Amino acid sequence: MTTFALPLVIGVAFGWTLERAGLGSARKLVGQFYLRDLTVFKVMFSALVTAMLGLFWLGRLGVIDLAAVYVPQTFVAPQSLGGVLFGVGFVVSGLCPGTSCVAAATGRLDGVATVAGMFAGVLLTGLALPSIWTFYESTPRGAVTLPDALRLPYGAVVFGVVLAALVGFQIAERLERRA
Amino acid sequence: MTPTGPRPYANPYVAGTALGLVLLGAFVFAGRGLGASGAFASVAAATAHAVAPASTASNTYFAGYLADGARPWTDWLVLELAGAMAGAWMSARLAGRTALVIERGAGVAASARLAMAAAGGGVMGAGAVFARGCTSGQALSGGAVLSPGSWLFIAGAFGAAYVTAPILRRVWR
Amino acid sequence: MTTNRVLAFVALVLAAGAMVVGRPSTTPPGHIDVDRLAAMIAHEDDHVTAVELGTWLRDGKPGLRVIDVRPKADFDEYHLPHAENVPLPSIGKASFRPDETLVLYSDGGAHAAQAWVMLRSLGFTNVYFLRGGLGEWLDDVMTPMLPTDATPAEREAFRKIADLSTYFGGTPGVGPRPPASSTSEKVKAMRRRGC
Repeated sequence: MTTFALPLVIGVAFGWTLERAGLGSARKLVGQFYLRDLTVFKVMFSALVTAMLGLFWLGRLGVIDLAAVYVPQTFVAPQSLGGVLFGVGFVVSGLCPGTSCVAAATGRLDGVATVAGMFAGVLLTGLALPSIWTFYESTPRGAVTLPDALRLPYGAVVFGVVLAALVGFQIAERLERRA
Repeated sequence: MTPTGPRPYANPYVAGTALGLVLLGAFVFAGRGLGASGAFASVAAATAHAVAPASTASNTYFAGYLADGARPWTDWLVLELAGAMAGAWMSARLAGRTALVIERGAGVAASARLAMAAAGGGVMGAGAVFARGCTSGQALSGGAVLSPGSWLFIAGAFGAAYVTAPILRRVWR
Repeated sequence: MTTNRVLAFVALVLAAGAMVVGRPSTTPPGHIDVDRLAAMIAHEDDHVTAVELGTWLRDGKPGLRVIDVRPKADFDEYHLPHAENVPLPSIGKASFRPDETLVLYSDGGAHAAQAWVMLRSLGFTNVYFLRGGLGEWLDDVMTPMLPTDATPAEREAFRKIADLSTYFGGTPGVGPRPPASSTSEKVKAMRRRGC
């Protein structure tokens, strides 16, 4: 029973918070890239920083075992290319996979269209993937973390990320005031 | 418009922190982060399998979602995304923000907007396959656990978006 | 203080604390987390078979490093393909990257198992050892033997192992294995069969 209940409950909280933040609106999301409305940046990095700090301290206090937390594998080339493609698609549609579902659920038909397009995109890419498998699996680095890769202590990287985020937030506030 | 109207959105930093706590909750109680595009991949694999089981079995990408014991139609991420839609609807309903509408910039017609939404979705789908995730799975979740691939994804996505945006300025006026 | 300032302040304090503390786990490096390691051993997450290792080598598994922990003289006499010699006394000083997959081996497997515990205590996660050691490699990969009374299913399974064996210049055979005990005797017996 919990195998079904847990993701549903987490999902409800996920969708609720995204909607509360206004991320179900394509115009709001895209405003990020015209430096009008930097909500996306603020929400995303606040969330990232919160979770990152939470994981660090819960690990340190022995509440969770960080080694048991899933770290995705890094594939330098495909993930970089994937990011670029994703960014282009994002500006064209104005929504991302998660927020398109939020938009669709709240009545936005552009959200529905994005969901449909995304399903097609994933299906077609999946069908084509065996022929570009070498690229898909190229430049693997394993489930490495930035502290490992940069040979820095974990806490130092955490501090650096928080500092960068706070500076970014200051800049975002300034840009929005001028818009 | 009624005096009450749709309520304004929450403070982005507070909403972001709340989102971060949801993400943290996922890590603590489910051992993994959030995601969205993975649900699409799982459903795509299930669909391909339903339509053409023999050729799907030899597709190394889809086979990963159809291994022994997998439930592609009710995969963890599929359930999570279903919950997200429910949660989003509830939140919008309570705040008076549900509306059957096509959100678009002033510079584009409704039908063109829908076509662009679908096209953009298609490209994002391809990007998410290569990157093994999207803004939820890679940027947020992978970013929080400091995976370099996730940070590369963030850089690539934001960079490409900022470069593409000026080209579509008239669309999003 | 506004909400935003409070959030920023809390984040900064927690981040500064993180930098001071350094590591997000309670076990210091070099400390052996007995419960964790015991569970891994019980689940057999600690070792690989010679056939698995051979498959990894043949398929070019990325990030794979095969480490021979025996003394140099033994390494020079015979070692696994692509193996590197890191004798046991210097295992602590070796520079391995956390994302590499390390497979340790020794003659019988005991020293490799000990090195496994040590590397795990230093925080390496992708570490395995060859449980049967070099002996298992020589028996199962270089000179695999198919019993004369094998069933058709067993013959079929043996075909894959025989392919792997010939890839490494081994000599698969049929019948009972000739008696040999020490690794160097096995090496000599293998070399006598020729390639």
